Amino acid sequence: MDAVGRTIYLDYGAATPLDARVRTAMEPYGSELFFNPSAAYDEARRVRADIERARQTIAHLMGARADNLVFTAGATEANNLAFAALSDDAHVVSDAIEHESILACVERHAHAIVDVAGDGRIDPADVAEAVTPATELVSVGLANGEIGTVQPLRALARVVAQERARRLSAGEGRPIWLHTDASQAATALSINVSSLGVDLMTLSAAKMYGPKQVGLLWADDGIVLAPLIAGGGQERGLRSGTENVAGIIGFAHAFELASQLRASEMRRLEELRLRLVRPLTSAFPNAVIAGPRNVRLRLPGLLHLSFPGVEARRLVLLLGNEGVLVATGSACAASKMRISHVLSAIGMDEQTAAGSLRMTLGRPTTADEVDAAAGTIIRVVAAEYGRLGIRP
Amino acid sequence: MSGRVFVGLSGGVDSALCAALLAEQGYGVTCVYMRNWSRDLPGFTCPWADELADAERVAVSLGLDLAVWDCEQAYKETVVDYLVDAYARGFTPNPDVMCNQTVKFGTFAERAFAEGADFIATGHYAAVEHTAAGPATLLRAADERKDQTYFLWRVSGAVLNRVLFPIGSVPSKAGVREMCRARGLPIADKPDSDGICFIGPVGLRTFLLDSLERKAGDIVEWETGRVLGHHDGAFLFTVGQRRGLDLGGGPARYVVATDTGKNTVSVTADPKCPGLWTAEDVLEDVHWIAGSAPDAGEYLVRTRHTGTLRPAHVEPRADGTVRVFWPEEVRTVAPGQSAVIYDGRICLGGGIIGRHVVPACRTSPLRKF
Repeated sequence: MDAVGRTIYLDYGAATPLDARVRTAMEPYGSELFFNPSAAYDEARRVRADIERARQTIAHLMGARADNLVFTAGATEANNLAFAALSDDAHVVSDAIEHESILACVERHAHAIVDVAGDGRIDPADVAEAVTPATELVSVGLANGEIGTVQPLRALARVVAQERARRLSAGEGRPIWLHTDASQAATALSINVSSLGVDLMTLSAAKMYGPKQVGLLWADDGIVLAPLIAGGGQERGLRSGTENVAGIIGFAHAFELASQLRASEMRRLEELRLRLVRPLTSAFPNAVIAGPRNVRLRLPGLLHLSFPGVEARRLVLLLGNEGVLVATGSACAASKMRISHVLSAIGMDEQTAAGSLRMTLGRPTTADEVDAAAGTIIRVVAAEYGRLGIRP
Repeated sequence: MSGRVFVGLSGGVDSALCAALLAEQGYGVTCVYMRNWSRDLPGFTCPWADELADAERVAVSLGLDLAVWDCEQAYKETVVDYLVDAYARGFTPNPDVMCNQTVKFGTFAERAFAEGADFIATGHYAAVEHTAAGPATLLRAADERKDQTYFLWRVSGAVLNRVLFPIGSVPSKAGVREMCRARGLPIADKPDSDGICFIGPVGLRTFLLDSLERKAGDIVEWETGRVLGHHDGAFLFTVGQRRGLDLGGGPARYVVATDTGKNTVSVTADPKCPGLWTAEDVLEDVHWIAGSAPDAGEYLVRTRHTGTLRPAHVEPRADGTVRVFWPEEVRTVAPGQSAVIYDGRICLGGGIIGRHVVPACRTSPLRKF
């Protein structure tokens, strides 16, 4: 809690609050503009036009064409939709620190999982080696949500382009695409599809101060997607079901805001992260920071810090009682009884991994909050070390 | 008090207070969450992760360690398989009785003692008196309405000699909640769980249909043999059952008998039907907490959790079975259920109610089954 007893939320990687401006923009679509955008009368056609304007806005922000976007109910669905485009005998390449929604899709195909370095970075040469003539998709997240590693997508795009060129000259007809789930990156990194060199991209409104259950898959020209949800033929037949109008409008507003604020927020969050990490590592010299050190290779507002010997699950509860809300390793891994796959992949030992907290700073985070949180974390971690009789 | 005690923490109110009381009494307490079942079923979301989270909150608020032990294999082999197998054979078992015997006071106890526990403790409503050489004496809880000795009759007296039941002396469940609240335990207002521990309130039907094949069969009138309707598996029915027969109106009917071999369910509309009443029960698979059978005589017998304690003449036989003679006829209890025998407050042990020989119907020559 801060000086006036307010809760300090440091889990923006799990969920972001709806920005007030976004909420205001969404509101009419639940009331006076409730119309089904597929209906023929003018009122509904205006709603349809609003959706298309939102699509244009988002496409513009991604450097894409509006017709190449499919709105989905969130990033997990968009990831699944990307994988649904593959042939039955397709091979896929991904890496060991992807989100579960990617790994679960990867499991359904012949696949190769590329190892990552200790800071979570992928070596493009490893991807080149893992690609086979049957590989149709390379899927690598732009930024990892657990330890904050930013991946070298442009280099991966070159690997994919090389293989594409090889197949062309060899007369092999099988396509190969590069997909990225950029959900965790949208508030911090530029996500222009052509400068990243990707062929498919997943985004989520829920991670950029927009509504939950809205996401999108962008697929470049020439990629034939296969719908997961059949029905009335909305979204060019690729995602049936009446459009989540308010959600899509909110998505566009949230994305616009995120793009406007990106540069200043990046600097601000970087400073706040350092402000948080310094007192913690000086109080606990044994604490381990995961992810790259170089600010250009990491999410600026994410701090993954391990306190070897303590149980992070207890810390989260103890900190929650003190009004500081943080995550263990990752929200998904926290509900299971095992060490996060991301932490095993970067070679973290079990004892260190079990003591891992993920703190994600966000747009509303202030320096006062960070200072108060650091004080509380130091107190709680020290008490826990004391209880266990461990000298950190 | 001193010694190391391992407490089975379930995420519920009773085990939370159990851990708190033992810590206050000066025991070195280690909390253990036993994960016995984690699979979701159609229409049933297994709450284990939420229960574990509650157990963690409790342990954290008490400043105690919590270990998570995976007991799924033991639970599957000794409770789930037993349950499915018994139903498939037309019995109505008590999985909680098996769980206590083989998991909580079996696997869990063994591992706890191997890891240095002097005692184990659970949040059961029961009381135990230790003896120098064992076996211990098991007694009903102070709160008779919550007493759980009905589920503990198969636990060995030797293990009970190293078991603590601190909740058993609390006068009421309301008192347990009050004491949790007074200690600021985060689960003080959590509702009671009911139903079979791992299936929860969803019901056995979903669970059984997940394991056993549906098989269409007839529901016949016990008196006449007339087919009244159909069912999708005799194993889904229990003697005495009134609901779920789906016979489309008419008088309330009760299941008198099931035959999983012929896949028939016999019902009656007559509450006085002789098949629904018995003056005698035969108990098999008998267990005595003291290790040996008591003398034949008058005891109190209960055939249902917190059910009436009825005086009956109990006669242990040389073949290991027990005959229970009721002074007047009682409602037939489904075979597979437990009958638990008490001498005053002391729980002596019990047995599994065997299949009744349904008396021949005297009223109708049409009976065909």
